[in-house]
Amino acid sequence: MDLSKRQQPLSDTGDIIQEEILSPEGIQEATALVADAIARGCAGDDVAFLGIYTRGVTFAHRVAALLKARGLDFPVGTLDISLYRDDFDNRGADLPRLESSDVPFALDGTRVILFDEVIFTGRTIRSALDGLMDYGRPAKIELAVLIDRGHREIPIQPDYVGKKIDTDRDQYVKVQFHEDDEDEEEGVFVVKKRSDSPQLPA
Amino acid sequence: MSELTPRKDLLDIESLEREEIEYVLENAAPFKQLFQRSVKKVPTLRGKTVLNLFYEPSTRTSSSFEVAANRMSADVTNFTVSSSSVVKGESLLDTIETLQAMRSDYIVIRHQAAGVPGIVAKHTGASVINAGDGYHAHPTQALLDAMTIREVYPEYPGRRVVIVGDILHSRVARSTSTLLNKLGIEVAVLGPGSLVPAGRHDFMTRLRSWDEVFDWKPDAVYLLRVQMERQEGQFFPSIAEYHKMYGMNSQRLVGMRKLGAYLMHPGPVNRGVEITDEAMRYERSLISTQVENGIAVRMAVLHWLKPETDKD
Amino acid sequence: MGGQSRLFKNGRIASADSPDLREADVLVDADGIITAIGPALTASEGSEVIDCAGCLLVPGMFDVHVHAREPGFEHKETLATCAAAALHGGVTGLVLMPDTSPPVDSGNLVKSAMDLVSEVSAIPMYQSGCLTKGREGKELAGFSGMAARGVPMLTDADRTVPCPDVMRRCMEYACDFDLLVTSHADTPALSKAGAINEGSVSYRFGLPGIPAISQEIAIDRDIHVARHTRARLHLQQLSTACGLASVRRAKESGVPVTCEVSPQHLVLCEDDIQDYNTHFKFNPPLRSAGDVEALAAGLIDGSIDVIASDHAPHTEFEKSSDFGSAPFGASGLETSVLVLYDRFIHGGMFGWDLLIQRYSVAPRQLIGLEPVGIAEGAAAEFFVFDPAATTKITRDSLRTKSPVSPFFGESLRGAIRGTTVRGEWFP
Repeated sequence: MDLSKRQQPLSDTGDIIQEEILSPEGIQEATALVADAIARGCAGDDVAFLGIYTRGVTFAHRVAALLKARGLDFPVGTLDISLYRDDFDNRGADLPRLESSDVPFALDGTRVILFDEVIFTGRTIRSALDGLMDYGRPAKIELAVLIDRGHREIPIQPDYVGKKIDTDRDQYVKVQFHEDDEDEEEGVFVVKKRSDSPQLPA
Repeated sequence: MSELTPRKDLLDIESLEREEIEYVLENAAPFKQLFQRSVKKVPTLRGKTVLNLFYEPSTRTSSSFEVAANRMSADVTNFTVSSSSVVKGESLLDTIETLQAMRSDYIVIRHQAAGVPGIVAKHTGASVINAGDGYHAHPTQALLDAMTIREVYPEYPGRRVVIVGDILHSRVARSTSTLLNKLGIEVAVLGPGSLVPAGRHDFMTRLRSWDEVFDWKPDAVYLLRVQMERQEGQFFPSIAEYHKMYGMNSQRLVGMRKLGAYLMHPGPVNRGVEITDEAMRYERSLISTQVENGIAVRMAVLHWLKPETDKD
Repeated sequence: MGGQSRLFKNGRIASADSPDLREADVLVDADGIITAIGPALTASEGSEVIDCAGCLLVPGMFDVHVHAREPGFEHKETLATCAAAALHGGVTGLVLMPDTSPPVDSGNLVKSAMDLVSEVSAIPMYQSGCLTKGREGKELAGFSGMAARGVPMLTDADRTVPCPDVMRRCMEYACDFDLLVTSHADTPALSKAGAINEGSVSYRFGLPGIPAISQEIAIDRDIHVARHTRARLHLQQLSTACGLASVRRAKESGVPVTCEVSPQHLVLCEDDIQDYNTHFKFNPPLRSAGDVEALAAGLIDGSIDVIASDHAPHTEFEKSSDFGSAPFGASGLETSVLVLYDRFIHGGMFGWDLLIQRYSVAPRQLIGLEPVGIAEGAAAEFFVFDPAATTKITRDSLRTKSPVSPFFGESLRGAIRGTTVRGEWFP
């Protein structure tokens, strides 16, 4: 893709794309990598997927679909972690819309794999772990991400990674799936936030 | 993300935009879902304080707010003030000063005088939630009523609700009807002429009998509590006559069943006055759902409002 | 007093007789007597020249309904601050309501009140007396003693005499002394703990309402008692179209009745009450827009005889209570002329002559005083009004001890530059 033609607002938030990290094909490859690793490690176990709302859910469904084609049928649940975030006081002028978490399986004794599209500081995953624990006591919790962009602030590491990339601390990595972002191109982008936008921890 | 601007206080329904109402109602559903878990608590308001300030005794509403705040991990202080001591000494502004010193993030207030929550809100950075002021407003009751109706009628615009009882002295009638009207739900009222004031909201169609109610084909019938303690004059001859004229009984349940109408009541119920024991067991009664939704809606309200306590 | 002669130059003189204004200078001598009116007058040596170019000279207003709060409630207002407020509003004389503490219900209390007035007040004030002892509506107050001290009227001030029998005896007995019986018409059994006009606004606010009939029934009752007893009756603070219609009918049938309206009831209605603002809490309450319109028509056609402010100061603290608990009333002396100019005279609804007739001439005549006019040989009692200026009403713009007003924040057209009375000039 010729990025010089994309020096324009990507969305109504006015973000400017700086670089494409993964094309749709790249996303497919990275997703397949994660699916392979899970298939190797989990076959025969009582495994359930739990996607972090919004794009973690899509990512989980994509991996589940690949595995289903191989005869591995893992249920997928969703987790909205808004109520567990540690930045509630800094919610700014936006009013968060809550989603219903949907955990259609018993967690107790289950091997749960959490899905998120990007891991950055690790704080989102910490919130997700708190939320997950309130639903039950899994035998084991693992973490699968499409992108690991580094800059962890707490000691949480993913077990399955689609692609690891180097980024600057103040950059913003945006994943767009066609399921969630209907009007946008699918891909993973490094995005420059409009200067007046608050820094969002991914 | 949404374009709605955050609010500090919830004082009435009149000043709310329809989008804000729908925002709160939509957020209430995920909160309600938490009640199915064995761990019903979320850490959202950890370290925040909620002051439950009740100048009128109301175990139900105050408990509902307390449970809601507890389930969001806030610290709750209950403060019930006997109205006699208020009248005697401390003025409202003095009380507000005391409250300021407590540094609460949220103040839930019930007061016998209309407008008091608004005065408190002006003088504090805390988010003020009106839990009932005089005959004026009871916005969280209205929100929980709307949530309850939306659950049974997801396509709620154009639905019809008839409110039965003391329209004059009921803040529930005022707030709930205003909210339903904002959501495009039609509202009618039934009650004795002495309690259905001429100055009621324009959109409140007056019905004069249960026959007219059933002809109007309501989707829900909302019985108001007969405020025995508020009968400072003689608004109707006797409780028995009220029951006969306006109470929900087995005969009227036939009409309800024919329509498939739901039954609602803000509680606590006066059995044998506005409703019979048999009607309490009506299969389409939403009364206990209302109680449960009350907690969810109050959690959604605590989540929605944004205190300005750092400005104090 | 005085000691300073003054020349008011280049002003235009307003009068009760004609809407036309007369351009002339006015010379006032050291004793406060108008010695000359005419073009291009020159001041004698040592006299003060007050340039009134563009301004009007208006005869001083007279307010028959003022609560000055002294003695007993000096935290709200005193006779001195009340006089300052009156002068600031172009009012050069007034009737004091007897609802002080103790209530003025005997000749001795009238005397001590008048003694206090002569000590501290810059303007003439006339102390009215109670109809019943302690304003309790039960026993007749000391009419003869109060009459001997020259009370201008008897009234229980903001309270109706609830029992029709007591009211009948009051009126019968008042006839013996040719005393004016003044009634704050209200039916307590209907108004109860009401705070606001009963109707859609009271419903929306969830406040107990005061129905229009609570005043209308009382007006009718008092008119019937006056018809029966032939006592002179003055009705305070009309607020509804129906009540006004009753007064009209009574006048047509020869009942000796007069009535008053306040500026707030002429320009504000219940819909103006926003956000539980207690500065809009009056007794009788602000009524409907239709009532406001009817009252203005009644003022113009003469059915309403008198404008009276019902100056009722309460401290800002007292008014900071919730709407239901806050006391009724606001300060009115300083805003009456400005409000009426802004809402009526400026737009041509009526002229200065009508305002002077209803707020200067008729109120004085009501209590047997000679009207004041701007004429040679008369005492100078007038104020200088600048129609080109504006006055922003704020708590700091008022001189009353209790700055509480429904007009806060409004910029009213016109400004009162100063008032002269008893040979003094109060800018």
